[in-house]
Amino acid sequence: MNAVKQSESGQPGQPAASMAGGIEHARVSREVKPALPRFRNEIGKYRIHRSSDCVNCGRCAEICPRGVHTRPGSYRLLMRPLDYRCIGTDCAKTDHYCVKACPKGALSISLNRTFETLGDYRWTPDLLISNWIMAETGEAPGPHLESEVGASGGGFDRLRLRFPETIPSDLRREDISTSLLLNRRDDSRPKLAIDVPWYGGGMSFGSTNINMLLGKARAAKAWNTFSCTGEGGYPDRFIPYADHMITQVATGLFGVREETIQRAPIVEFKYAQGAKPGLGGHLLGDKNTPAVAAMREAVVGTSLFSPFPFHSVYSVEDHKKHLDWIAHVNPRALLSAKVSTPADVDMVAVGIYYAGGHIVHMDGSYGGTGAAPNVAKKNIAMPIEYAINRVHKFLVDEGIREKVTLMASGGVRNPYDAAKAIALGADGVVIGTAELVSAGCNRCGNCESGRGCARGIATTDPELLKMVDVEWCTQRLINMHHAWREILIGLLHRLGLDSVAALRGRTDLLTHLDYEDA
Amino acid sequence: MTNRKNEINDLIARRADALLRARDGLRPEGDWNPRPVEAEGGCGVTGFACTIPVGGRHIYEPSRQMRNRGNGKGGGIAACGLVPEDMGVSAKVLEDDYILQVALLDASARGEIEKAFIEPFFNIDGGGMVPTVDDYRDVPLLETRPPDVARYFVRVKPDVLDRFAGEKGLALLQRRDIEDEFVFQNSIGLNRAYYASLGEKRAFVLSHARNLLITKIVGYAEAAVQYYRMADMRAHVWIAHQRYPTKGRVWHPGGAHPFIGMNEALVHNGDFANYHSVCEYLAQRNLFPQFLTDTEVSVLLFDLLNRTYKYPIEYVIEAIAPTTELDFDRLPADKREIYRQIQIAHAHASPDGPWFFIIARTLTESNAFQLLGITDTAMLRPQVFALQEGEVSIGLICSEKQAIDATLASLSSEDARFTPLADQYWNARGGSHSDGGAFLLTVSPRNGNCGGYDLLVTDKFGKRVSTPSGQVHCRLDAAPAQQGNADDDAVIGHGIESNNPEAIFLHLRQNAAAMDYDRLRNFSRRLAEQCKLKSPQVGIEALTLAMDRRYATGEKKRTSVLVILRQALEDIFAAQSLFGVPAQTSYRRITWDARGLLRGPEGQEMTLLIDARGFQPEGPDCDARLAVQAWHLGWRHIVHYNTRGTRFQAAGFGPATDGLRVDCYDNPGDYLASGIDGLEARVHGNAQDQLCQIAKRGKVVIYGDVGQTFLYGAKGGEFFIFGNAAGRPMINAVGKPRVIINGTALDFLAESFMAGDPHRGGGFAILNGLTVDAQGRMIPLDLPYPGSNLLSLASGGAIFVRDPRKTLVRQQLNGGAFRRMSDADWKLILPYLKENEQLFGIEIERDLLTVNGERRHFREVYRKVAPVERGEAEAETDDAGE
Repeated sequence: MNAVKQSESGQPGQPAASMAGGIEHARVSREVKPALPRFRNEIGKYRIHRSSDCVNCGRCAEICPRGVHTRPGSYRLLMRPLDYRCIGTDCAKTDHYCVKACPKGALSISLNRTFETLGDYRWTPDLLISNWIMAETGEAPGPHLESEVGASGGGFDRLRLRFPETIPSDLRREDISTSLLLNRRDDSRPKLAIDVPWYGGGMSFGSTNINMLLGKARAAKAWNTFSCTGEGGYPDRFIPYADHMITQVATGLFGVREETIQRAPIVEFKYAQGAKPGLGGHLLGDKNTPAVAAMREAVVGTSLFSPFPFHSVYSVEDHKKHLDWIAHVNPRALLSAKVSTPADVDMVAVGIYYAGGHIVHMDGSYGGTGAAPNVAKKNIAMPIEYAINRVHKFLVDEGIREKVTLMASGGVRNPYDAAKAIALGADGVVIGTAELVSAGCNRCGNCESGRGCARGIATTDPELLKMVDVEWCTQRLINMHHAWREILIGLLHRLGLDSVAALRGRTDLLTHLDYEDA
Repeated sequence: MTNRKNEINDLIARRADALLRARDGLRPEGDWNPRPVEAEGGCGVTGFACTIPVGGRHIYEPSRQMRNRGNGKGGGIAACGLVPEDMGVSAKVLEDDYILQVALLDASARGEIEKAFIEPFFNIDGGGMVPTVDDYRDVPLLETRPPDVARYFVRVKPDVLDRFAGEKGLALLQRRDIEDEFVFQNSIGLNRAYYASLGEKRAFVLSHARNLLITKIVGYAEAAVQYYRMADMRAHVWIAHQRYPTKGRVWHPGGAHPFIGMNEALVHNGDFANYHSVCEYLAQRNLFPQFLTDTEVSVLLFDLLNRTYKYPIEYVIEAIAPTTELDFDRLPADKREIYRQIQIAHAHASPDGPWFFIIARTLTESNAFQLLGITDTAMLRPQVFALQEGEVSIGLICSEKQAIDATLASLSSEDARFTPLADQYWNARGGSHSDGGAFLLTVSPRNGNCGGYDLLVTDKFGKRVSTPSGQVHCRLDAAPAQQGNADDDAVIGHGIESNNPEAIFLHLRQNAAAMDYDRLRNFSRRLAEQCKLKSPQVGIEALTLAMDRRYATGEKKRTSVLVILRQALEDIFAAQSLFGVPAQTSYRRITWDARGLLRGPEGQEMTLLIDARGFQPEGPDCDARLAVQAWHLGWRHIVHYNTRGTRFQAAGFGPATDGLRVDCYDNPGDYLASGIDGLEARVHGNAQDQLCQIAKRGKVVIYGDVGQTFLYGAKGGEFFIFGNAAGRPMINAVGKPRVIINGTALDFLAESFMAGDPHRGGGFAILNGLTVDAQGRMIPLDLPYPGSNLLSLASGGAIFVRDPRKTLVRQQLNGGAFRRMSDADWKLILPYLKENEQLFGIEIERDLLTVNGERRHFREVYRKVAPVERGEAEAETDDAGE
């Protein structure tokens, strides 16, 4: 039984059986197919109560267009309402409002108290559930959710796009390009381009469920974009997707071999993570299972440290040598350097370019999972929206803006954030947490605790690994990419732009709510 | 006695106080914001001090070699210990006057500056515009016209000086000190008026020292030599800097190194994390940077400690690079007391982060010239020191060893008293009790004032570094007397006949001490001639053995022996055919010009010789890339020679390279053998930094020392090092790397080592702690491991240290414990020691298990250090106790 068949039954909470015989097809279609939640009681914004007055007349199932009320096939009784799909009391204005339609008055709607406990100011419950809906359906979430901004009171949450009153009448949605060129140097290396202006960030084999990582890789292949190994080595199971995998070279050099460098179309140097600059990496002993230890060739059960910084790189000329090394080992790879956003990030970016880098990847401080300490997340590094524009302008002044691809990451939660980052001056964005959320992450922040994630995502525990199915995860991400792209095209259309490239650096199309009156 | 001491102390304090107060007027107006405007990280630095003055052309070559450490946006040169004739002034003027060099970014500023800052205050004894080439575009790679430079030999007018001393309250200083201060302050005023305070910068002071001058440009350092016509200008001490600034589209030569203090010029490789804090410290002492780079701040700090506080150089170094941890504890008690005071007073001004300084200075009182290299306490920047002692002597300090050899090659091509290799190469151990992380190379007039100079090399504590006495270099410019030696000829003939290079080597080793240079030269020449077309392999192997191994050389310097052997090897290499002509041997040679002819091996062809001259040090045009192509075409033995810092040799071949052998001669560069997976690499001499990163499988033999971060993140493989490893070897290594280091390591050996259980296929290191004496014998070092950190934070693997005197202490371990050396341990390491014996001639019985002439049990000689098990409360000790 695969995910498609499962969707016919329309019931969540029954994960598709893992792919029989480990058939991980390298061919993946980007077609949107429903990918239901993994858990029986998916959390939604609303709760529907069906009282004992219900007579199972089936009226509600007939009228609800969202599949909240269902009675499959020859069932006599109605299924328990799938209230996570409910759009709430807004529905009262329509002719399919179940509460009103119920002949017995057995239905009522209330806000789900669990909903309110989800997430945090940055990833609000609305944003989490918006993401889940996109991952399930491939469509934009309904208006009952605030799917555009969070509640942090700053950053992307205070920025808005400014749409012109009229748009060119000849601009058709289907002509809008979302392609992103990754190699802008005049060199002999491939002119790689991706179909959407984002790719997946590095998550290591060790921090994250291999099934999740495979789902990322497969979705990246489907959408002709990239995923990244992170710093835990390159499992052989990634090889079918090698054309869409970035090999990360990070400071611990775990699992990095010439072979894995030569396999990759892009090699990423992780100098720092925006969420914890200056702190290196740390995999707690509990997550260092035999499989993880084997991949990293380390000792089972011991905590693994990635130092900060690279022991061989203490300066920009060391950095150039480091890039030259990878360029030597793989003469076809593009070189990316992932850096955090210190006060002199502009000089760092220029340094990356002069050292031969193709991609400058700035990682801001809003990102990071539970593994990054709060004190670091909240206090170090420059907010990404400042850094993007600063670096963009600096590169323009330097006369090298058209020679380098600028990627931003760290708190890009949805296509609106992506559009804002691009309008600030990035060429594209790198996403991480959004991918995890698609697979059901609810931002509880316990990624590093014990065996890991309660939802089986950020874990290496053999039992918890089974909670995520590769194909299901793939489909969730494919759906998410689709929904994001559709929303992005909608934004570009309203902005009157024929490509995402045309949006880059258009700060005139942005406004900041704090300064609107000024 | 005590009274007298107190008086002196009081005078010193009052003088320092007076100087600090005299600088009250130097505080800039308005908000003062000590934020560096330019960022730079690393760079290439090089310098040398020589007993004879030599032309600027010799700093040209090492600068060029390290071009890839800069980006052409800033370079500079300083020369110290000049020659009166070259400068067009008398010896007395050169000795007494300040050489004020002003860079004129705007040529029209000259007149104004002379009126405002020079003529009113100084008597001018010489100078003029510094000559340049006519068109800067004639200088390769020079994209911007360098500034015109006006040079003035000056003394402060006596009445001006009197007034200055009175106004500033400096009367208690010696007159020369007051004059120094006047010159210093005058330059600050000039810079402020024409540089720091202006949007458009017009002029600045390059240097104002005695018998020392600086030029700097936007471009590569060597271009300064060419543009300012310094190729023939001679000096005892030269330093150069390749800069790699990354901020700003417009660069000013003002930001380039070297920076001037008073009588010293400083170049710097690295950057500080605490620029702001150091600036604050200086600001409290009325010193304010004007060019806003950390290098300028460094020289201000040095000058403050040296000229204002009058610290002896040892204390200056301690204030800049404090001694910490176990190293501090190992200092003698009286030093600890003084150092503690210095640290209390100056710790917040000591630069934090990766840095390495080279300073050239005139010691005005003794008329001597000095080159200093100081490394940071964590040794985060590359640094190599070298010494050649002979008829002329020279000491060198560089970022890379290859630049040292480039300097010596350049010098020896012009003057046969120089030899193209140094007698000794070493690294400093930053902030240590052993050498203090700093060396002073002082060129001073020989006693009796005969015009000659001596070179004295000492460490921070004044301990002398010298080469074995009683040996001389060979004058290679004179041809050897043509004399036959029947024995030698017979051995060569027989060795070739029987295909036995070992026999030829053994003969040479036995006779090396007794041979004179002529006989050795004839021997080598004859060997090369006889085998180069008949059986080059015998000659190459015999000569390589003779270069790799250590043995007594009698009255001959080993350096000269190496040069002679290497020349013979070159003769054999050069006789091998290029592609496109019929081959006579199993060797094929390829050069930069003929690289397009590369093809796979045919017929009897076995070995590809790559003459690295002309290839780039990295990128698509480097010989390391050509080697990878050759491997894919089927070559299984590749030799790189005449390398000058080529990076990535023996790297990039990919997985499963079993059966490939790469031999590297001369100066292979950084990252050698990184990522190897099966191949064998041999380095015939010293290797540089970052060797064998992420190495997975294979074998590497180094017949010399290795540099920083050797085996970083390695997964496996077998590694044999004849000499020392610098800082952080094996850091973050996992899996099963197995290493023998016969010398020692500076510090942080096997930090975060995660290489499992050595008895179940995991990794380990054997540290023998030996060095070679003048007779070529292996002798133990004072401390097999002087560092403060051994196997810190490790979770796997083990270190076996030859430490019969039990010098290692628990304070050196952070998360490790001493373990009893078991029979199984010995059985585990024995095969590696045997291989080591085979490779280097370091015999297990004679050199390792014999202590003070007595044969000992392995358990009395080796100690095992392993990580503390999880949950293990108390670190166990071996039976050695503590």
